[in-house]
Amino acid sequence: MPTPKILVIARREYLSRVRTPVFWISTVLLPLLMAAWIILPSLIASKSRGALRLAVVDTTGKVAPVFVKQIDKARTQGGPQVDFKLEMQPPAADAAAQRKQLDSRVLRDELDAWLWISPRSVSDNKVEYHGRTTSNFLTLEVLERTLTKVLREQRLAAAGYDPGQVEKLVASVDLEKIRVTAEGGKADLGIGAIGLAIGLFIILYMTILIYGQMVMNGVLEEKATRIVEVIASSAKPTQLMAGKLVGIFGVALTQISVWLGSVAVLSAPGLIAGLTHLPAGVNLPTLSPGLVAHFLALFLLGFAFFASFYGLIGAAFNNPQEAQQLAVFGTLLVVFPWMVFMPVLNDPDSTLAVVVSLIPMFTPMIMMLRIAIKTPPAWQLALAYALTIGADLLMIWLCARVYRVGILMYGKKPSIKEIWRWTRYA
Amino acid sequence: MQPTLELQGLRKRFDGTLAVDDVTLAVPPGTVFGLLGPNGAGKTTTIRMLMDIIGPDSGEVRVFGHPRTRADLDRIGYLPEERGLYRKMTLREQLIFLGELHGLPKKTLGAKADGWLERMGLADRAKAKVEELSKGMQQKVQLAGTMLHDPDLLVLDEPFSGLDPINQVLFKDTLAQHKAASKTVLFSTHVMEQAERLCDHIALIARGRVVLAGELAAIKREMGANSYRLVATGDLERLRRTPGIVEVAGSNGDLRLRAETGVDGARLLRELVSFLEVHEFRSAEPTLEEIFVKVVHDANA
Repeated sequence: MPTPKILVIARREYLSRVRTPVFWISTVLLPLLMAAWIILPSLIASKSRGALRLAVVDTTGKVAPVFVKQIDKARTQGGPQVDFKLEMQPPAADAAAQRKQLDSRVLRDELDAWLWISPRSVSDNKVEYHGRTTSNFLTLEVLERTLTKVLREQRLAAAGYDPGQVEKLVASVDLEKIRVTAEGGKADLGIGAIGLAIGLFIILYMTILIYGQMVMNGVLEEKATRIVEVIASSAKPTQLMAGKLVGIFGVALTQISVWLGSVAVLSAPGLIAGLTHLPAGVNLPTLSPGLVAHFLALFLLGFAFFASFYGLIGAAFNNPQEAQQLAVFGTLLVVFPWMVFMPVLNDPDSTLAVVVSLIPMFTPMIMMLRIAIKTPPAWQLALAYALTIGADLLMIWLCARVYRVGILMYGKKPSIKEIWRWTRYA
Repeated sequence: MQPTLELQGLRKRFDGTLAVDDVTLAVPPGTVFGLLGPNGAGKTTTIRMLMDIIGPDSGEVRVFGHPRTRADLDRIGYLPEERGLYRKMTLREQLIFLGELHGLPKKTLGAKADGWLERMGLADRAKAKVEELSKGMQQKVQLAGTMLHDPDLLVLDEPFSGLDPINQVLFKDTLAQHKAASKTVLFSTHVMEQAERLCDHIALIARGRVVLAGELAAIKREMGANSYRLVATGDLERLRRTPGIVEVAGSNGDLRLRAETGVDGARLLRELVSFLEVHEFRSAEPTLEEIFVKVVHDANA
């Protein structure tokens, strides 16, 4: 039983690309970077020395005892990256000598840093910090916050106020974010879900652009190497084009599967949470099956449109330089959703968001963004899908018409008018 | 006998120009058929229509005794004028791919590809990529790709253009073997010398029309009916004024004469010896080149 020609062609397209090291490097690199970005900092922190060895000299004698108590509390809130190992030092008679001695201990790596609390600290809010490094901002921030709290309370007490009461009175507001949906109020999306929406948007953008242009370059190469007519003698041009689209779609799907798979693994409950300490308010995004289905469907539709468009351009011209002049329009269309990205993210039901998400070439990216944030009304989804499928079929038809003629045209660069005329050849 | 290939009234117009105008021809089985004509005569368009790469505006293509279908194309080996290979694919993969495209099952193709690489002396390069090969080697792979599926009809568009001398011989041998296996070959060329040596039948195309077609030997006999080769010295200018002589060509006493129909050769010779010293006089078939020039000239006139 001979293999159908479209499949023979698709398999060649697929294997010739998936077998290259470049493909796997780019496929694995992205999740690796993503994982590294999430996991490495905490990993490094936990594997490194850990606690900051800090000597505290308090010339006032009043701040340090409270500070020690507070820092114990703070250390449990700052996450595993931040920890302290305190060493209390009574102020010596010769302050200069003591400072010099502390410095030399830092240089000998017996200490990481030392704090100098003086009366100036209470009056002017100045506490000296001498450390080997001053770029450990997470640790310094905890330190600063704790000292502020301690000093503020002492000043309040000195002025005759009750620090506990004052704290209650000046507490800041915590906005309770509740989304109103048809199914009733829902808790806030959280930064995780927004991150996921942006992530899916970016993956769509990258893959549509990269794989669309891959189709164009593939067609151009087949014209340049003059193999296209050899193949056209046994496979119809439409089979050749369809096989190419299917094969390259397969390559994209392979890459996306690896990416989505790693998102699923990385966001699996317990994994990241076990490795890192997530700041309060950050919930991990979940990749629901419905979301994945929409993503794949929208990718298919977006790919079909732009890959056909790029395929048409590849068939019409002779080399990448000629093709680039028209390919720019494709790139502009793919890039356009970035311009409305923020407004749509901010208000996914605004007129702007609805209108743009219904324009076929923008539907895949913008609808993805909307769906990831909040499910749009069913009629909008249905209309967007219908319009996009229609536009895809039109573009595929145009591409097939131009392709059939263009692959046999060498030499002169055709004008747009000529290309249009090709579509009407018998 | 049923022709292997028949074109009936093929016509194709591109943006106002008639590229192929009512081309009708028949290629008998087991022959080498030459599609001849100057550049731009419509040879490639005709061949592309017979391969269903472009559709005719009107007319019909029949192969193996019936109207051509897509399935018939799997029995044809086609070498286009603009040809090439995937640069990054290995030779073996490339041949297997082309074989699969012609509907052969993949199982059998490994052995077939190896066989052809062996035949072309490229067995040790089976795993090399096309881009690593010399141009000459690539041409061999191209031919192997055309022959791999053992086609019943070979269609070659300007097969000899750009070939190095060794591959010219290889290509000609392959055509001869193909014909010896009682299969059919159609090829186009504008180089008449090649056609003269290889073809049994020809069709001459000029400006999209068939201006001459038939068996090459018969055409030559017919066109050479009143032609003579004359090597002589003397008053050659007088030849042009001699009654019964229509045309004089050639120079330095090595001439070609064409006599009026009905003029007898012996009588003409008697006439010539009366004023020339004749070293050689014989009836001469025209070369295909001469026929070509004359016919194309007449067609354009």
